[in-house]
Amino acid sequence: MSPKAVQYRANSIIYFKGDTSDRVYLLNSGKVSLNYIDIESGQEVHDLIKMGEFFGVKSGLGRYPREETAVVLQDSGVMAFTPAEFEQLAAKNTRIITKMLKVFSNQLRRIHRQVQTLLVSDAQENPETGLYKIGEYYLKNKRYGQALHAYKRYLVYYPSGSYAGDVTNKIVQAEEFVSRYGAGGPAAAASRPVPARRPEEPQEAPSGAPSGVPSGVPSGAPSGVPSGAPSEAALQEKTAELSDTAQAYYNAVSLVSQEKYLDAFKAFKKILEAGADQEYGAKAEFEMAKCLFHLKQYDNCVRSFSSIVQKYPKHPDMREALFFVARSYEEKGEGAKAGGLFKKIVTMAGEDDPIVRRARKALKAMEGGKA
Amino acid sequence: MSPAPDLSMFNRFMVTFRKGDIIFCEYEPGDTFYLIQSGRVQIVRIIGDIEKNIDILYPGEVFGEMAILEEAPRSATTIALDEVKALEFNRENFEVLMMGNPAIAMKLLKLFIKRIYDQKRRFMILTLGDMEARVADVFLMLAENQSIDTSAVDSIDFKTTVDDMAHWAGVPTAQTREALNHFVAQRRIELHPDRIVVKNINDFARFVNSRRKHQEK
Repeated sequence: MSPKAVQYRANSIIYFKGDTSDRVYLLNSGKVSLNYIDIESGQEVHDLIKMGEFFGVKSGLGRYPREETAVVLQDSGVMAFTPAEFEQLAAKNTRIITKMLKVFSNQLRRIHRQVQTLLVSDAQENPETGLYKIGEYYLKNKRYGQALHAYKRYLVYYPSGSYAGDVTNKIVQAEEFVSRYGAGGPAAAASRPVPARRPEEPQEAPSGAPSGVPSGVPSGAPSGVPSGAPSEAALQEKTAELSDTAQAYYNAVSLVSQEKYLDAFKAFKKILEAGADQEYGAKAEFEMAKCLFHLKQYDNCVRSFSSIVQKYPKHPDMREALFFVARSYEEKGEGAKAGGLFKKIVTMAGEDDPIVRRARKALKAMEGGKA
Repeated sequence: MSPAPDLSMFNRFMVTFRKGDIIFCEYEPGDTFYLIQSGRVQIVRIIGDIEKNIDILYPGEVFGEMAILEEAPRSATTIALDEVKALEFNRENFEVLMMGNPAIAMKLLKLFIKRIYDQKRRFMILTLGDMEARVADVFLMLAENQSIDTSAVDSIDFKTTVDDMAHWAGVPTAQTREALNHFVAQRRIELHPDRIVVKNINDFARFVNSRRKHQEK
């Protein structure tokens, strides 16, 4: 199995637009032009192939009709590859694929943009509103874990966005529900694109589901929405019921997301000192230590986290605590200590998580710094 | 291609998602893409009040690949249907991946080829000024995607909905429904809740071609 060398006379055609063939070509000598109509301008374009360049790759590998006519301008020598032969060659010369990926990614970017400009009717959602609506959808459909994720991402990107206040409140709701009822329905199976909505439940929004979309789930579905999930009305009630402590806590979290660390620190401190709720007290203490890091009070940060870790040896956010301690050491110029901790974080992870990734990144950066 | 390339050298890029976890949200800026090692990933879009299933991906498949092109917002939400283990890549470690594993590079190359083709096809639909022609052209595109030889068959049963058609045609749903109803009245299609039967696909091909030619003049 080896590619075939083919000679073409000037003015001959290697392939016509619309032909289907799985051959990929490499120009060895001579001159070949690819002629096609640009889909945007409608103009005829002549692309000259340089020696050593491949052509017919997309249509050959993808087995799509040729999009251009390959015209031989001067007597030329080309190599014709089958997809298998091309793959064999590329496996040994990864650079070929890397180069092609760059070319194709540029093409993809261009065509993607062209499509977007034509999609006027497909109401272009602005990303901020779009992200917010995803959270809204999952909250409404009682998939609290997913709602929480979307809302939290929102706050990451738009800490002072127009929905930030609302999102902060909704995070409180969603966390409450997650702790009470679990994360809610897991990812819906393909056959069940829309999670359950109970018929007796007051429906806040009009159900705009077209007839073709199943809007219910068999009551016996094992992984559906937990039966104890609150109704829409109860949801409103629960918000009102939410403890002042929780509300205060999330207001403080919102300050963190706005990078107002000093204000956040003070707000968390108030919660801790009030001592009204142990759970939120512990959470607040943890967040205070993080604020100290952002306030560049590295010694205090290390001290706070050490005390937290001593108090709660099985703290669920142990890795994050260690990470901030390590980062503090790093900022203080104690690279050896920091490195040791980063390594520890990386090894203690049963499963990968963002902290481990950040620790790895930090380690890598430190190693890079030494070189 | 070997079915299971040895990827142990990439273990440091391994990430795990719990069942039900959102991997990324539509509209989020993205700079990472994933190669599934185990578990299934569901791709959804929330359109109005409906979560629409776009696709379900299995081990060996890549998603989020548009991220290495530009930091455009994600175009869909991805959810772990099982516990999912995936290799996570970004623009920085992308080259390492490509150099270290030509099989993955080839897979990505083919994926790009398909994406370019799909986008071009979509572009062709959107350039049609006549809304009914657009809807008809979506049927032709769906037939091409299923590798149906339209010269050999007439009637085709498409597992598609009005919303799907509207999405591809870039036409508001109400207008798409109108166009489809018109086709029903002309006995060119049968409209069912979960499928649409096109009675004579070649008739649509002629219709679309004539509109396209007419437009070029």
